[in-house]
Amino acid sequence: MRERDAGRGVTRRRVLGIGGALGLMAATGLSASAALARRPSITGAELRSAVPLPPPFQVPLPLPPVLKPVATSDGTDRYEITQRETTAEILPGVRTPLWTYEGTFPGPTIESRRGRPVTVTHRNTLPVPTVVHLHGGRTPADSDGYPTDLVLPEGWQEPHQQMGHGMQPGHGMRDPRAVVTTLTRSYTFPLDQRPTLLWYHDHRMDFTAPAIWRGLAGLQIVRDDAEDALGLPAGPRELPLMIADRAFAADGGLAYPALDPTLRVRPGVHEPYVAGVLGDVILVNGAPWPVHEVDAARYRLRVLNASNARHYELEAVTDDGRRLDLVQIGADQGLLAAPVTHRLLPVAPAERYDVVVDFSGVPVGGLVRVVNRLGTGRTRDVLAFRVVREAADDSRVPATLSADLPSWRPSDAVRVRDLAFRVGRMGGGHGWLIGGLPFDPARSDLTTGLGDVEVWRLVADVHHPVHLHLAGFRVLSRSGRPPLPHDAGLKDTISLRPAESVEIITRFDGYRGRYLFHCHNAEHEDMGMMANLEIT
Amino acid sequence: MLTVAGGPGSDAAHRTRPAGWTLRAVVSAHAAAIAAQPVFAGVYLSGDFDGLRWHALGADVVTSIGYLQVIVAVVVWVRLRQVWPFLATSGVVAAETAQYFAGLDGALWLHLPLGVMTVAALVVLFIAVWLRPLGLRPGARREARDA
Repeated sequence: MRERDAGRGVTRRRVLGIGGALGLMAATGLSASAALARRPSITGAELRSAVPLPPPFQVPLPLPPVLKPVATSDGTDRYEITQRETTAEILPGVRTPLWTYEGTFPGPTIESRRGRPVTVTHRNTLPVPTVVHLHGGRTPADSDGYPTDLVLPEGWQEPHQQMGHGMQPGHGMRDPRAVVTTLTRSYTFPLDQRPTLLWYHDHRMDFTAPAIWRGLAGLQIVRDDAEDALGLPAGPRELPLMIADRAFAADGGLAYPALDPTLRVRPGVHEPYVAGVLGDVILVNGAPWPVHEVDAARYRLRVLNASNARHYELEAVTDDGRRLDLVQIGADQGLLAAPVTHRLLPVAPAERYDVVVDFSGVPVGGLVRVVNRLGTGRTRDVLAFRVVREAADDSRVPATLSADLPSWRPSDAVRVRDLAFRVGRMGGGHGWLIGGLPFDPARSDLTTGLGDVEVWRLVADVHHPVHLHLAGFRVLSRSGRPPLPHDAGLKDTISLRPAESVEIITRFDGYRGRYLFHCHNAEHEDMGMMANLEIT
Repeated sequence: MLTVAGGPGSDAAHRTRPAGWTLRAVVSAHAAAIAAQPVFAGVYLSGDFDGLRWHALGADVVTSIGYLQVIVAVVVWVRLRQVWPFLATSGVVAAETAQYFAGLDGALWLHLPLGVMTVAALVVLFIAVWLRPLGLRPGARREARDA
């Protein structure tokens, strides 16, 4: 009895001791998680520039030149673009070699009209093969820029595949359906689609991310009479904003952690960057943290996130800390039915947002900074607007913007597909998989009939901005709940955040053929996260 | 070695009462329900869209049982004069409530570790309610004599 008495006393102290220890472990665990985890979460690793960075809001905002057609016969506008190396002064006093369309970064803007076909003949004078994809374009498969439909540079020698260091399935693999040309290729875009901001960029198998990073991206705008008649801000009060992050090496070149810096043989990036490459310099239309002088009036900002992996949550803040309304009028695939007002606008890689901002309440001389709430330090700033004069403003934002948005219902769907986007093993290393498989151009993944309505249910492990070629879609739900305000309208890229799922609905119409869907984190895309969609 | 008072040989006052048995039943159901949550989470992240619905339904079931357990623990406290089940249950239910909203907000940095800890806490509570007697708490003198 005495022993048990003593034992019981020890037990009570022990119980308190054990409880205290477990409590301490729990508190330590949660604090460590709070301290170590990225809050908000960010997928990717940031490169640090090795050159001094300029202060923000000094450089004027450049506007990409509008490309002139070389011919406008038979109802078609014909353009020519030479892909070439050049050197540009992006940071003041720093010479940066670039790969460009027509010598500029961003490439020249192509202005087009709905239903009026455009043919662009690309001439590749770069040291590597290229592929041009018009992102968001309703384009026949043979002009959609399938990743193996290469345009080889003149005298291109197929490099010997260095086997043995992780040549993954799909990488370096032959595609029997590839249509390869040498030096030039003409892409024809019927543009039978809703007016919107598109962008063209390189889409070469395994090397898309570094090619875009080096400068292969440009804008194309589709307009129509109905949109022109709305009275939206136009002319100098309509600004395309291509936002992209980059980092600069000590020699002034763009830093990129490619395994093969020549971008000829071995795809992929060094291990710390497999989740995505982030830069520490924010470029808008190719200028670092630029400033633009504006009237005290409404402006239409056509925002594109052309970053490889960086997400933004944009807000427009005045000198006195007031946040201006960001009135969204359009999504990836054109005008919304009605405007949606945001204070904070999330923009994932490859997404476009058409936004009207009213500077009329800002005093002349005031600065409106556009900041990224997901950024830290220098990457928090994006660009700024300096209000320099009072001005008349006859623009307006109509309560009804469009009436032609498709209204597919889930009951219209002939099939429902579940697709998981997550990390995995690919060959010898890390890869990014869709439905457990890395991309293989020779494999048939999904087949659908022309005109079929489908519901896709996408699940992500980390951030995956999922892009569907050819077809625009609508968002039905996010993680089982209603879509978010910025999911409105017709989209072609949907941002999934960690452990998030979305349901989208679309109708595959337009053209038959082999198309793609993929993650538009460009590093994920190069490391397997693409799949084939065959429309029959 | 665990020294367990109130084994089969202890007197009537010390035997587990109906309130105690109810607590054991609720804690057992609670532990079984919460064990399914990581399963559904794993199914969801494997790409099964419906896994999220199961995980959300499971969260409703687990938190509902949690609140029921609070009520039973209050009864145990009042009827049997044992406060520890109430204190432990309050801690678990507070964690589950935080867990619920962390899940809804997608705050994975909190949701994952807190979920593991909540399961562990409930397992410990399960062991405690089944190993400890849940009879009327004896007085100090009686406790010493019993032991």
